[in-house]
Amino acid sequence: MSYDPIDITLIGAKIALVFFVILTLAAYLVFAERKVLAWIQDRKGPNRVGPFGLLQPLADLIKLLTKEDFRPIGADKWLFYLAPAMAAIPAIMIFAVIPFGAPLTVFGHSVELQISDLNVGLLLFLALSSIAVYGVALGGWASNSKYALLGSIRGLAQLISYELSMGLSLVPVVMLARSFRLSDIVAAQSGCWFIVYQPLAFIIFLISIAAECKRIPFDLPEAEGELVAGFHTEYSGMRFGLFFVGEYINIIVLGGLAATFFLGGWHGPWLPPVIWFSGKVLAFAFLFIWMRGTLPRLRYDQLMHFGWKILTPLALVNILVTGWWLVLRG
Amino acid sequence: MKIFSDMTALMTGMWITWKHIFRRPVTIQYPEQRRQPYPRYRARIVLTRDPEGGERCVACQLCSAACPVDCISMQPAEGDGGRRYAEWFRINFARCIFCGLCAEACPTLAIQMTPDYEICTRDIMNLIYEKEDLLIDGCGKSADYNFYRHAGIAVTQPRGNGAEELPPVDVRGLMP
Amino acid sequence: MPKLIIDDITVEVAEGTTLLEAAQSVDIPIPHFCWHPALGRAGACRVCAVKLLDGPVKGIQMSCMLPAQEGMVVSTTDPEAVAMRRHVIEWLMINHPHDCPVCDEGGECQLQDYTIAGGHGIRRYSGKKRTHVNQYLGPYIEHEMNRCIQCYRCVRYYQEYAGGTDFGVMGSAGRVYFGRFQEGQLESPFSGNLVDICPTGVFTDKTARFRARYWDYDMAPSVCPGCSLGCNTTPVARYRELLKTVARRNDAVNGWFICDRGRFANSAVNAPLRPRHAVVDSRESCVEDALDTLLLRIHALGELHGPGSIAVVGSSRMAQEAAELLPQLALRIAAGALCYRTTRKESTETSSFVELVHTGSSASQQDVRKSDCIVVYGCDPLNEAPMMAMAIRQAWRSGATVYVIEHKITLPCEFTLRATLDDVPLAEAERPVIICNLSAETDQLDKLLEGHSRLKIAPLFPAANSFGTALLMREHGAISLEEALADGEIKGIISIEADIPAALLGKIPFVAALDWQATATVQAAQIVIPTTAWVEMNGSYINYEGRAQHFSKVMNPGVPVKGLDPAGHPPHIHRSTATGGEALPARQLLARLIKLLDDGNRGLS
Ligand code: SF4
Ligand code: SF4
Ligand code: SF4
Ligand code: SF4
Repeated sequence: MSYDPIDITLIGAKIALVFFVILTLAAYLVFAERKVLAWIQDRKGPNRVGPFGLLQPLADLIKLLTKEDFRPIGADKWLFYLAPAMAAIPAIMIFAVIPFGAPLTVFGHSVELQISDLNVGLLLFLALSSIAVYGVALGGWASNSKYALLGSIRGLAQLISYELSMGLSLVPVVMLARSFRLSDIVAAQSGCWFIVYQPLAFIIFLISIAAECKRIPFDLPEAEGELVAGFHTEYSGMRFGLFFVGEYINIIVLGGLAATFFLGGWHGPWLPPVIWFSGKVLAFAFLFIWMRGTLPRLRYDQLMHFGWKILTPLALVNILVTGWWLVLRG
Repeated sequence: MKIFSDMTALMTGMWITWKHIFRRPVTIQYPEQRRQPYPRYRARIVLTRDPEGGERCVACQLCSAACPVDCISMQPAEGDGGRRYAEWFRINFARCIFCGLCAEACPTLAIQMTPDYEICTRDIMNLIYEKEDLLIDGCGKSADYNFYRHAGIAVTQPRGNGAEELPPVDVRGLMP
Repeated sequence: MPKLIIDDITVEVAEGTTLLEAAQSVDIPIPHFCWHPALGRAGACRVCAVKLLDGPVKGIQMSCMLPAQEGMVVSTTDPEAVAMRRHVIEWLMINHPHDCPVCDEGGECQLQDYTIAGGHGIRRYSGKKRTHVNQYLGPYIEHEMNRCIQCYRCVRYYQEYAGGTDFGVMGSAGRVYFGRFQEGQLESPFSGNLVDICPTGVFTDKTARFRARYWDYDMAPSVCPGCSLGCNTTPVARYRELLKTVARRNDAVNGWFICDRGRFANSAVNAPLRPRHAVVDSRESCVEDALDTLLLRIHALGELHGPGSIAVVGSSRMAQEAAELLPQLALRIAAGALCYRTTRKESTETSSFVELVHTGSSASQQDVRKSDCIVVYGCDPLNEAPMMAMAIRQAWRSGATVYVIEHKITLPCEFTLRATLDDVPLAEAERPVIICNLSAETDQLDKLLEGHSRLKIAPLFPAANSFGTALLMREHGAISLEEALADGEIKGIISIEADIPAALLGKIPFVAALDWQATATVQAAQIVIPTTAWVEMNGSYINYEGRAQHFSKVMNPGVPVKGLDPAGHPPHIHRSTATGGEALPARQLLARLIKLLDDGNRGLS
């Protein structure tokens, strides 16, 4: 592989761009969530800071940065400081393998709108999302607080359970695309989106990613009605902010993956690919917010029952059926 | 089938919240727009005076007993002509929950609630209202009531001259 | 032993028990105003109505008037009885004024309770109310006749129970009036009990007039420090001000009542001059520093005048817990003398009497009330221990003969004068009691006690804990301060709640006083450390019969809110201790002193 300085610059530019866009988007997603929830509840939502409250994320940022950085007595110092990073960083790293637009040509170089087109991109995603579990586990464990500990135990069980159905629901996608490479998967959908072939896998994946990003109705690890704030009860200031932003980055990344695996990635008629991709991601984000405004939280036993006795078997059956179908079709 | 009814339930919920997104918000933009509360609104508490201008409160401590958060305290004392009154009377509005139980308990209609709800302040000590802050010059509601006219003790009128009272008994009288 | 059924509960009671008491014995409350356990029945209020369903008597009856009989079936909840009681209450309320908010009884008023319990909430009668003019009854008791419900408790108590003659009932029909014939202070030394006994607010405590309500009171079971009888009391405080004292029932001691001396005793506790801060050489200090300085001075005095130059002086009004620590302190500082009394006379008298009093020989107030032959020997119960005179009267009312050995005194009962003890026919009596004070000849009493096995004595000691400290005097060989100062060796006095006459203090260069009262000793002392009054701590007194009684903390020490500056309202400041609230119980101060000495630091190594 040649290390052309222009290539390196371009990769650096792409990373910077992705970082900037994702972080800004995450911040505004918080804002959007507050607005949409307010509308759902016949309220107005934040509208004081800047025009239509648009500077609210900035105000929140300043507030979080200036809050006291607090560590409970008896907390494990290093793990306590490590956990928020462990929650946010893997989420953002997943984006490295997501293709967010058709290749461009800049100064004669063909530029993939993807940071790294790994041949095992899908596996990298599964691996990184497993690492994100550590954020929850360590945060709860290191806090030396019963609420945090309970929240993180719940979180661990939930994330591990739903990762299984999430992974299994992606197997048919790989079978159809015959590749782990995400750009190949997108390319395989240039004709027909996989959601048409795999509606069941799509639904399982959707439910699983809702559980993966600990959103209502799967917010048991936080469950403010029961556990104060669950695994991040003891965090304050920007460390809490990292957990918080991590959750929204997760929404963006998982929305992007859902679009990539089932909705044809950046494919779409008339509009430029990047717009198509962003639109799909935002649609998923809206869906999550809408769900939050509607559904109540599951009970823990319902959650486990649903994950292990319904989603996982369904995903397995789906793989079997897809396999038969592929074999029969030749 | 159960799964269908479950799905319908989910979808109905989603549909209802979807519709609400387009409703007009009920929020009032508070400092710019203000609601005019009804006269019976329960906010800042005052101590009223009787029609003759005397303090109505007799420091009976029923309000402080009724108060669920114990935010009223006072010291009764004996004033001119045997009148019982509050030497000091304190309401800690930082604690008050504006439940109105004090006003309900008050036998002299002294303590009353007003619609003035804008008493926020940055120094919590400013929320401790003393008698001089609470006592107003008017009668508030039930303007014609004067407890001492009905109490049977001689404060505003000689004994036996109050409403529903007979003149005092002559104990040395020999009539049966 | 009649057996009857009350509200489906079978009760067996002694002959002559009323239905009301029979019901109370199985925790069935029946409302009542005129009936009182100490006064018995009058049948005046009609509110204790019950219905007899079966047995010798039937129908609505007054439970306080009817003795329990075999086979009675009583219902307190029968609709007819309930309606009767409700109507009686309504009728009692016809003339009752509308003044609960300005009545000091409000909140602790039997009439209020039964009116509410009876369900009478709204007045239906629209006629006019009869009114009365009140009387001035002295500085202690407030009179408000409009509130009377004619239960006759007051006059039965005042005349029959307490033997007063200047208060009674006048008028007839709806106009009966309870008061004095002429306005003026009530003469009985037990008049304060009218406040407790009146079920309404006719008599209220003037010293606590318009100060607080029952639900805000700081109250705790306590013991009267007024004399050696140790009557049981419940002091009442609010905002660190001792408001009043009410009697607490103890059948073995004071029964239901206390005397006026014990009741109206707030002023010492509320006195503005009470020492509230530690003082070292006329400068305000803190307790820590004052204790340190005290240790340094003790040390210096020891260096200067040799060991044994300090006297540790207690008194007969200190709580037993503190008194017990004095010998320990004396030991630690090698004190020259340990004293609990100031004069030689007091000292010898008390110690000889402790020998005399033991379980078999001491007469409690209950023993006196149950006695059939009482000898008042050389003492004046009405002045020395008023409730003892009350007990004598109760014995006399139930037929006891009261002898007074040639002595000019008054008693609230009739008595026979006798020249000497030998003239009293003690041998014929079933339960004879001799009441004396410390001036009596112990040898003679000793002989009498040996001669008469049933004879009991009640020696009236001068102060609340005379007996307890006398026990310690005997155990530790304490002497009187007078004796200790005789040889001029003593150069310093540590006085713990002791009232030392100025004459004795005059020649002493160093005086330290731990006290809660502004006594002459406190004025003269170089070091003053405030202690707590009995209502501000837990402790115990041992009364004249050797009965140790515990008293509990009623209120926190500190300047009453009433006395704070600015006068208007309490200040807007948060603080954990009240102004002047650093006073500690004497026992704690002594324990700290002893600990400091034991630790050997602070310059005393
Ligand atoms: S409104 Fe309620 S909380 Fe406030 S002072 Fe009155 S009783 Fe207390
Ligand atoms: S209840 Fe009324 S009269 Fe009684 S103390 Fe309160 S304000 Fe005063
Ligand atoms: S003054 Fe009190 S105790 Fe006496 S009769 Fe009247 S209510 Fe009863
Ligand atoms: S008799 Fe003595 S102890 Fe009893 S109340 Fe009177 S002073 Fe107190």
